[in-house]
Amino acid sequence: MAAIAAEQGHKQHRLPKSGPTAKKKKKAQQKKKGISTEQKNPKAFAFQSSVKARRLQNRSAEREQRRLHVPVLDRSVEEPPPYVVVVQGPPQVGKTLLIKSLVKHYTKHNLSDMRGPITVISGKKRRLQFVECINDVNAMVDSAKVADLVLLLVDGSYGFEMETFEYLNILQVHGFPKIMGVLTHLDKFKDAKQLRKTKKRLKNRFWTEIYDGAKLFYLSGLIHGKYPKREIHNLARFISVAKFRPLSWRLTHPYILADRFEDITAPDAVQRNPKCDRNVTIYGYLRGCNLKRGTQVHIAGVGDHKLWNTSILPDPCPLPLATKKRGLREKEKLIYAPMSDVGELVYDKDAVYININDHQVQFSKSDEHKEENEFEDKEKTQKESVADIGELLVKTLQKTKYSVDEKLNQSSIQLFRRGAPAETALIKSHTVDTELEGQDGHGSDEDDEMVDTSSEEIDTDAASDSGSDAENDESADMSTKKDIERIAEMNENLTETDFDGLGNASKWKEDLLSFTKLKRGMTLMELVYGDTQAQLNGSDAANAVDDSDSDDELFKLKNQPPKEVKEKNNNLEDMNADDSVKLEMTSEDLEIWNSMEILESIRNRFVTGDWSSSARRNQSHHDSDENDSVMGDFEDLETGEKFNMQTANEENSEKVKADDKEAAERRLKKLALRARFDAQYDGTDPAVEEDVTSSKGKQQRPHQGSQSDYFDKLKEEIELRRQRNMAELADVDEEVRLEMEGFKVGSYLRLEFHGIPCEMVQYFDPRHPLVVGGIGPLEEGVGYIQVRLKRHRWHKKVLKNRDPLIISIGWRRYQTVPVYALEDRNKRHRMLKYTPEHMHCLATFWGPLTPPNSGLVAFQNLSNNQESFRITATGVTLEFNQSFQIVKKLKLVGYPYKIFKKTAFVRDMFTSALEVARFEGASVRTVSGIRGQIKKAVKEGQGKEGSIRCTFEDKILMSDIVFLRAWVTVDVPRFFNPVTTLLQSHDMVWRGMKTVAELRKERGLSVPNNKDSAYKPIERPPRHFNKLKIPKTLQSALPFASKPKLLKKRSKPTLESRRAVVLEPNERKIHTLVQQLNTIRNEKVKKRKEQNEKRRKIFEMKKAKEDELSKKRRREEIRERFREAAKRRKSLERDEDAINIRMGQLYAA
Amino acid sequence: MPAGLQLQGAQLFRHRLLLSTLTGTPLRIIDIRSDDAAPGLRDYEASLLRLLEKVSNGCVVEINETGTKLRYKPGLLAGGRGLVHNCGTSRSIGYFLEPLIVLGLFGKAPLSITLKGITNDSKDPCVDTFRVTTLPMLKQFGVPIEDVQLKIKTRGAPPEGGGEVLLQVPIIQKDLTPVSWVDEGMVKRIRGVAYSTRVSPQMSNRMVDSARGVLNHFLPDVYIFTDHYSGQGSGNSPGYGITLVAETTTGCLLSAEAVTNPVNQDGDEKQSPSLPEDLGTHASRLLLEEIKQGGVVDSNHQGMLFLLCALCPEDVCKVRVGKLTPHAIRILRLIKEFLNVQFSIKPDPETGTIILVCVGSGYRNVTRKIS
Repeated sequence: MAAIAAEQGHKQHRLPKSGPTAKKKKKAQQKKKGISTEQKNPKAFAFQSSVKARRLQNRSAEREQRRLHVPVLDRSVEEPPPYVVVVQGPPQVGKTLLIKSLVKHYTKHNLSDMRGPITVISGKKRRLQFVECINDVNAMVDSAKVADLVLLLVDGSYGFEMETFEYLNILQVHGFPKIMGVLTHLDKFKDAKQLRKTKKRLKNRFWTEIYDGAKLFYLSGLIHGKYPKREIHNLARFISVAKFRPLSWRLTHPYILADRFEDITAPDAVQRNPKCDRNVTIYGYLRGCNLKRGTQVHIAGVGDHKLWNTSILPDPCPLPLATKKRGLREKEKLIYAPMSDVGELVYDKDAVYININDHQVQFSKSDEHKEENEFEDKEKTQKESVADIGELLVKTLQKTKYSVDEKLNQSSIQLFRRGAPAETALIKSHTVDTELEGQDGHGSDEDDEMVDTSSEEIDTDAASDSGSDAENDESADMSTKKDIERIAEMNENLTETDFDGLGNASKWKEDLLSFTKLKRGMTLMELVYGDTQAQLNGSDAANAVDDSDSDDELFKLKNQPPKEVKEKNNNLEDMNADDSVKLEMTSEDLEIWNSMEILESIRNRFVTGDWSSSARRNQSHHDSDENDSVMGDFEDLETGEKFNMQTANEENSEKVKADDKEAAERRLKKLALRARFDAQYDGTDPAVEEDVTSSKGKQQRPHQGSQSDYFDKLKEEIELRRQRNMAELADVDEEVRLEMEGFKVGSYLRLEFHGIPCEMVQYFDPRHPLVVGGIGPLEEGVGYIQVRLKRHRWHKKVLKNRDPLIISIGWRRYQTVPVYALEDRNKRHRMLKYTPEHMHCLATFWGPLTPPNSGLVAFQNLSNNQESFRITATGVTLEFNQSFQIVKKLKLVGYPYKIFKKTAFVRDMFTSALEVARFEGASVRTVSGIRGQIKKAVKEGQGKEGSIRCTFEDKILMSDIVFLRAWVTVDVPRFFNPVTTLLQSHDMVWRGMKTVAELRKERGLSVPNNKDSAYKPIERPPRHFNKLKIPKTLQSALPFASKPKLLKKRSKPTLESRRAVVLEPNERKIHTLVQQLNTIRNEKVKKRKEQNEKRRKIFEMKKAKEDELSKKRRREEIRERFREAAKRRKSLERDEDAINIRMGQLYAA
Repeated sequence: MPAGLQLQGAQLFRHRLLLSTLTGTPLRIIDIRSDDAAPGLRDYEASLLRLLEKVSNGCVVEINETGTKLRYKPGLLAGGRGLVHNCGTSRSIGYFLEPLIVLGLFGKAPLSITLKGITNDSKDPCVDTFRVTTLPMLKQFGVPIEDVQLKIKTRGAPPEGGGEVLLQVPIIQKDLTPVSWVDEGMVKRIRGVAYSTRVSPQMSNRMVDSARGVLNHFLPDVYIFTDHYSGQGSGNSPGYGITLVAETTTGCLLSAEAVTNPVNQDGDEKQSPSLPEDLGTHASRLLLEEIKQGGVVDSNHQGMLFLLCALCPEDVCKVRVGKLTPHAIRILRLIKEFLNVQFSIKPDPETGTIILVCVGSGYRNVTRKIS
């Protein structure tokens, strides 16, 4: 063996003969030889014609424009939420295995079971959330709506399946996120050539579906039941550099892909009634745009629900802190998959649960006891000294005998330096007395108070630091002191009445809060929006006050509001205040403007005044919010001189105003530029998101001239806006900010819902994606929606008007009844009975309003076991309204029964005079095309009821039929039915309204056949017109030209026809020759025809024979097949019989 | 169906209906002047409801017998051309213009409507103010200003009215442009209109003279147009008034106006008509008051400014105003209720102005049709 190896030697290195490396080497070689690589004759390739040059220029300009996309403002400021990677494919293709491999690659974690989304950290700035898409239309639709990246798994050995194409179509409609294909099962190919061919074929098919050059991965096979590490690594690399498109629907709607779902209904309520409505919480990262408190959301597959409560939880899978280090450390490679039970930490609203595996438990008491038992004291002390302090602390904590309350009761506090330590119990009894002092103490350190959640005892501590008291007293004026006293009194009452109650503490705190407010003075925000804190927890208190008032109401004199309030219209609480924007100012109010002093005070507000003071006026504001280093004050370190913008402004006051504005603008622009550079440079933090290619194009051509100036301007504007947003919101208080802009994108939220149907909890399946999507203003309402719809070319049948259709649009899925129409030339919407074969048409249906330009996909049946293509139609919404006019044509037919010159009486068109009244003046037409008008119904008693008098442009015939062409408005059914697939068992098919065809099939009804509607061959018997008879007298009176020319038939032929033709000898010769030639040709043709006929006959005979043979063979084959099948069946039956007999024997035995 | 809102009282009736229509929130207003001697809706409010029915499609209004309860289910804004509305004589056209301008921006088609009634009265901003101050304000929010038009065809003074204006508002294609509008600048010129109808043309000149007397103290660039109506375009009642606009170096427009008391022809007048000189002085002093207060808009336009800010896309809007009027405060509260937009309000102590910052609600014109 070894000898052979030595003999063979190493394989020779083969130089690459093509490809980039070879090219490079060749170039180098040439350079070495001194051959210039530049073109020798550049003129040869210059434009020869100006037309060609212009065309090329046009083409390149066009390509340039096509590359550009409208820049979109990305409003997310914080770290982005994990990108959703949906793994989709037909069953048994290796989806779960791929996710497991990728998770293993990212986190070194072996997933045992895969349920629900799995969040992993894939890089320093990127998190991924893997979702497996099960093979169910509903899951496919929901996951397509949230996917950022889709890994389409395709079984290479089988080829593309319907699911893949269905999913691609769904994706296309809902925004078309980034798609990567992955081919698996490639190890089933034994033949390398076959494999190569298949790969190429599949790749080309994939490209036609997405775009040329879409990434398709090949996973070559399994090694130990896993995909090869290197290939997974490559796939992970591609995922980590993928750029994601901003999709317009998602940029304007907040949404959450739930990765945790809990039922928080009180257990006893469930026990009492298992079918009761549930309270549930849904957890997930907020994506899309900011979510405001208390907005309406749609839970896909469940329905619209109001957000009961929303709170931010700490990120369960945070990105690592910014470090200079390359790559991730092991500790930072986190995984979060609460539904799959892998993460150890579970954060709830107010608690954190740690799930520790048994073998990892180190600090439990049992261990300690064991240790004590096993080791001697000496050893133990030694060990403790070695262990770190934290461990010790934990251990001491475990050894406590008394609870915190008990300990506090026993403890004592030294209030004054030389005083005796006071017992807590003692203090407690005097709480009422010390209340006031306690509050005073808190006025100074209110921040502490807000944080402090412990009980009263600790608060009394604050009373002791009387130092702060004095300060507060100084600042508080007389009025507030009065208030304090009042509050104190109130407190006493409260504390006395329900001293023991738990409510005591909270009320006590409320007062404290209000007191602190008093001290600070009302801010403008509070004046306008009221005390938010009080609103949150003090609503019932207000109600209580109302109740007490209601008793006195009976004896109050109504209709006497305070006079001055009503006049001034200034009372904010006046419910019926006059609705006028004008502030009423009497001339007495304006008397002040008589004084010169007041007049002079606004002198500088005019251009005639002092510009510098005015500049300061605007300046003060700029300074306040631009305290960053770009424009702020600075100190000259050498001289120790301090400069600030204020002084500088005063010096050159004239220009300041303009300068200042420009400077601010410049500063923002600079920031924008920097951000853009950053985005281009590292490509990880795209500030302005756009298509990847466009930014690439930018880098290649930095000087593009005026072409993309507009584009640049747009981008700059957007970047400016972004910077302004960040600058303005940077210094806003966190709580106010939440109120202002809502929960930020990327935060981990806990959404609480009340009144959710119990079926959602009962049938919850983590494999089905749970999507919660926010809905914008106006989208809550219902109305008619008009869409441009096209039947999918792979759906087998055209769609029937008013047949129910399941539609996925926006976040929702619902069944509705569309009416199809086409727009005529004159903008009339004309109803269609069926959708056109290969054309778009308009569909109008009733449903929840969706903004225009959002895509929709329609299904007829959601079941998973149908072999045909499930997507019925796709489309896009055009507009919504509360009414649409769709019409269909109606032809009324009547028959004339009496005709005058141009007037005719027509019957059978209407049934009553009342009907006629509606159509007076309407235009009618006869079959022959004579136009006319309806005049009036005939008088009663004359003719049939509903007959009409019409006039025409010409006399009509009795055989004519009179038509009235009218348009009837078609009603669009006001019906829609939400598809609630999450409220039923997963393996049940959602059943809604049935189509007409289904109903007919179910009931065995045939299609109704109207005999009149059937097309028949048109029979037109020839019309015989009577001969025209002209009286003799008239004939004689007519001039010759008008007389009928009635000549007798000639009895003898004319002279010309009788005349014999005598040919010249030469002519005769020619004539005979031509005749002879013709005879020869005719003979030839005749012979050829005969021969052909003969050949044909032979061929036909032969063919008939062959046909007979093949028919026989086919029949034989079929017979053979059936015989085989019968044999097999029989043998099976025989086997079964045998088994049965054997069983019977066994039983008998 | 969206959850509705229940509100109490007749305050901010217009804005409640406006916001309800914009957000599509059904509304129930109870206790409308239920304690009043004359309970229920006023005729101008009913007229406003009829106007809303005209410009929208599919709205439902239910009023109980006494008119103290109202149920309003908004329709979709349709807009349209050639609409006519008679505003009645209890409130002036300004009352209807305020909500209509905002509504028109978010409709399906551009709005063009003729409003008939009183053009100038002392309770609401008069049509001149709308023309020279309110409509230019829309420019800040990216509304194509060349398509906005308010044409005064006929003047109509109280009590009989008879005025007619043509309002044209374009629709916005996608959304408004967020503003950062804090620089109030310095007043560089003052313009104005002194109108008189069915009275001596001298009245306007007298008003102009007195106004100039006050304002020329500060600025030489004061020009007040006189606008006299007689015959066909003069409406049914005599009246006169003056509207002043101060334009600053940064393009802010502050306006003030004064209108005479109704001139009763019967003779049994409660208030005698004001002297033109007094009106001129009053208006100019009001203008000075507005200038003193500061801010990028005058006190009458605060509410509308806040409303437009709240309707902006989800970007920061920043504006500076003078003292907040009670009406503006009520509107701020209403905005919070309907659009869930809260402003951060910070006083600027040096100038005595207030700076309001908000993040827009992300409102888009979704009713418009795409082709």
